[in-house]
Amino acid sequence: MVTDMAKVRTTPAIDPVDIWDRDQIEPRIKDLLDRTLRDRARGPYAAKTDIEVIAMLERHFASESPAPIEIVDVARLSGGASKEQFAFTLRRAGDIEGERLVLRMDPLEAIAQTCRGREAQVHRAFQNILPVAPVRSLDADGDLIGQPAIILGYVHGVTEPTQGKGHGISGIGTHFEEWASKLAPQFLDALAKVHRFDWHSADLSYFAAPEPGTRQAAIWQVNWWSRVWWDGAVQPVAIMAYAERWLRENAPICDNPVMCHSDLRLGNFMFEEPSGQFTAVLDWELAHIGDFHEDLAWSMQRLFGTWTDGGEFLVSGLIPRAQFLSVYEELSGNRIDPVKLRYYEVLNAYKCAVIDLGQAMRAATEGNSHQDIVLTWLGSAGGVFLEQLVTMMREA
Amino acid sequence: MLPNIDLRIGNLVKALEQVILPALPASQRLARDQVRLVIGHLRMLGGQWKTALRYEEISFEELAALARDLAELVEEPQQRLLTSALKETATCDHSSIDALEDANKILGQAVDMTILGGEDHRPLSRAASEAVLEYALRHARRERIWFQANQLDPDRAELPSIASMLATA
Repeated sequence: MVTDMAKVRTTPAIDPVDIWDRDQIEPRIKDLLDRTLRDRARGPYAAKTDIEVIAMLERHFASESPAPIEIVDVARLSGGASKEQFAFTLRRAGDIEGERLVLRMDPLEAIAQTCRGREAQVHRAFQNILPVAPVRSLDADGDLIGQPAIILGYVHGVTEPTQGKGHGISGIGTHFEEWASKLAPQFLDALAKVHRFDWHSADLSYFAAPEPGTRQAAIWQVNWWSRVWWDGAVQPVAIMAYAERWLRENAPICDNPVMCHSDLRLGNFMFEEPSGQFTAVLDWELAHIGDFHEDLAWSMQRLFGTWTDGGEFLVSGLIPRAQFLSVYEELSGNRIDPVKLRYYEVLNAYKCAVIDLGQAMRAATEGNSHQDIVLTWLGSAGGVFLEQLVTMMREA
Repeated sequence: MLPNIDLRIGNLVKALEQVILPALPASQRLARDQVRLVIGHLRMLGGQWKTALRYEEISFEELAALARDLAELVEEPQQRLLTSALKETATCDHSSIDALEDANKILGQAVDMTILGGEDHRPLSRAASEAVLEYALRHARRERIWFQANQLDPDRAELPSIASMLATA
């Protein structure tokens, strides 16, 4: 059904949130987007060499302690389409074995511009709740390393079965086959634990929380991603403007904002073989406080799922959709509102289109990432989200 | 043109697949991943380059048709904005991909501003909304068909070929 926008104009306000106020956005997100615009012209960005990485790390650790250190066994990591990542071993005097760590740092521009400080805080907040990589060190604004970075403990495991099929970028297309029965319960448990987390009592100073009982949770997201679009779009796309308008005019109230992982899907959890035990929930960079429906809708996206030979869709390649929703309700205690779930499916399709056709294309056009070729590859999938937007807004 | 573009693309893919990729150590995963993507892009380009101009021309014609439809459905100042963009792009060089892309940007900006309704967020009529959605569906479908060789589209099995899409546009 087409939204009759002529009627929307006369609809009385349901809360004090101005749906067109583009300044309503988390302060840290605003800072990041301002920085992105400011730094964009500094490109192009070149992938760092091992020698450069060693020098950056030596400078960083020297600021922590005057004791001599050695950085060895530097190895570039693949995976993901966003951050530049290196495994390395840090040795201090007398410590022959050393500590295996991972440097995760921002290129000049990534497919998503996010905050390493937020990532560190959320890792620390969940340290005793879920398997997450321990935070060893942080340079949130790149003051020492030269670009924003986080250093994490090295975690062993795989993101897709070693002998499996359907390996793709960022895990897309992974078929878990018999592993699914071991992984699905842990996946759902992780999602429920993230949403049950008491964020009020955690050190989350890089975050701000939307006002409960208002549309602020949704409008903050619309403002975040629409700003990314308008700041970066290399070419106008009519449905993006239409979707933004729809998302503002249909924003739902969020009664109880929760911590959202915002990218919990296949490819973003590690497990060990052969037990199937989760060793890490990965990629918390998009985490924010918002509506739990947003996380559910993200995990359920078609791009992140697979189909059985019988044609049944599996959420994140793990579990049928109806079962996913019912088990989630049981574990989390949250009741799913189908209207809100559909709203966030639209928002997530919009967000994916912004990422693929907006930010990724801008970063690649400027040559500002070490993975420009990955960005243009993912950008070529943007049409999938555009069609989903049309279909879902018509059905809503 | 000798060697022609198809031959050269084929040579590039062969060199990457048979010489360069096997020479990269298994530990260099990012390098190996990027080589595979280069191969994928080259194969996709091989299926697109001959019809890229026609693709951009269709995109322009479709967007111009939407702008004309909207111009009849909206009021000032959006109507003036659309009319002006249509006039500016009416004589664009259809033999140049760059000129067509530039024209698409001019028209696209006017369409975007119309959809958002200006500073007072003027509402779109039902007819204007339907025109945008109808256009957007054709646009998205065209993009999906054009890039289906990336194999990222979960519903690519339902898509026709590029040649078929261009023939019916």
